[in-house]
Amino acid sequence: LPAGLSQWFPALEVLDVSGTGLAEMGTELLSLPCLHTLLAKNNRLGGPGSLPKGLGQAPLARSLRVLNLSGNRFSEVPPALLQLRGLRSLSLGGNRLHGIPPDIQELQSLEFLYLGGNFITAIPPELAKLPSLRYLVLCDNKIQSIPPQLAQLHSLRSLSLHNNLLTYLPREILNLVHLEELSLRGNPLVVRFVRDLTYNPPSLQELAGRTVKTRNVPYAPSDLPDSLVRYLSLASNCPNPKCGGVYFDSCVRQIKFVDFCGKYRLPLMHYLCSPECSSPYSSASQSSTSQSESDSEDEASVAAHRMQKVLLG
Amino acid sequence: MEQPVQTETWKARSLEELVRILHQIFAEDKVSVDEVQALMESYESNPEEWLQYAKFDQYRYTRNLVDSGNGKFNLMILCWGEGHGSSIHDHTDSHCFMKILQGNLKETLFEWPGKKGNGEMTKKSERVLRENQCAYINDSIGLHRVENISHTEPAVSLHLYSPPFNTCNTFDQRTGHKHKVTMTFYSQFGERTVCVSTICGGPH
Repeated sequence: LPAGLSQWFPALEVLDVSGTGLAEMGTELLSLPCLHTLLAKNNRLGGPGSLPKGLGQAPLARSLRVLNLSGNRFSEVPPALLQLRGLRSLSLGGNRLHGIPPDIQELQSLEFLYLGGNFITAIPPELAKLPSLRYLVLCDNKIQSIPPQLAQLHSLRSLSLHNNLLTYLPREILNLVHLEELSLRGNPLVVRFVRDLTYNPPSLQELAGRTVKTRNVPYAPSDLPDSLVRYLSLASNCPNPKCGGVYFDSCVRQIKFVDFCGKYRLPLMHYLCSPECSSPYSSASQSSTSQSESDSEDEASVAAHRMQKVLLG
Repeated sequence: MEQPVQTETWKARSLEELVRILHQIFAEDKVSVDEVQALMESYESNPEEWLQYAKFDQYRYTRNLVDSGNGKFNLMILCWGEGHGSSIHDHTDSHCFMKILQGNLKETLFEWPGKKGNGEMTKKSERVLRENQCAYINDSIGLHRVENISHTEPAVSLHLYSPPFNTCNTFDQRTGHKHKVTMTFYSQFGERTVCVSTICGGPH
């Protein structure tokens, strides 16, 4: 950035330095107290000095709302960026990112996050801690699975996942009640029912732990070694709302296809505490009652109504 | 549309002139596809002339009506944000011309699915259309998906449909199942359409 920029234009609100070959932003940024929009796409940013030191303490950290760094060479999200607490819109599309840092949750005001066209392989569950996120773009990456926590993004209106490596989705995705757009094309979504054949039976410790928890067997820290007290505290409730069981390490994965208005079938991954767990999504190969099948259809059709646009993915 | 005896070679020097010549062409009984395509291509995109119609939406591409062609055609501008794309769709027995005004759009052609519609749809071809290029499609040619594959640049395209239509079918690439949808305009003649602005939503 040209020296003296902040002296000559102290009231600068919008700065567009896209396509200028910039490799470093420089300290002039730190002295622009009114800057709310910074567009720096298609440059050579990405090296260690791309963003100036002290960004978190600069007025920019509170004033900046929109940052576009698409089409640069970032191989990781620069930590300095995560100090821009006022940021509402961030684009890092078309860079060389291999992952998303868990500290992305620091950007609590974020509403728009564009990360399409990178090399991202996984999504940290911390991404779900962004309460205002409305638009999340993860298309054209190498993502293999979606963490179920993503369903906690209550404000999400649009989720772009096309052209990734997804084979299934977590069933929690149906909880995104405000979702209007969901793109899934170009993913190797499984089309046939897959039964998890490699279920490892629970250990004796797990079985004992399950019994303690489900029967409410009373115990005090003085009754057990510390390690077992810790183990018991890690019990997870069976995700099946109709089952009161718990599990520790051993659970069954099962894929159930949910029909959206009879035209589009999404493979959704369910976790159950055991193959015998009487899930509304129990497999076709077990003798499922017609009641539980229609239960699942009711739940699915309500969700389908909400997510009709997924049909067009 | 059939080939008339003489095909004019038009040059539209502005968007206004393009619209005027289109009205002239479509006033006739017979209209030539090649003539319209050449006319559309001859117009050199000038953002000043169409910026008022180019209203972008954050979440999806928008359709902005420019001219309703005396009922013979619809001329509209589509605005595609980074990563925005359409579903695979047909054109309800109409002619469709698509000219790039800014940026690039990828067009992927698909074969019509078989009667059963129980398999992955077949891709015929794909290409990236550049600024000022004009593509043409109708149902006998096939189906297509249009998308802005850029992660850094928005795209703007000018579409002509004749006769005008407001419903079409969208297709699921994995199964070939089709689903009828109603399309609406994000804006008309430069004014934002206040009511329902879903593009390919449910019945509205």
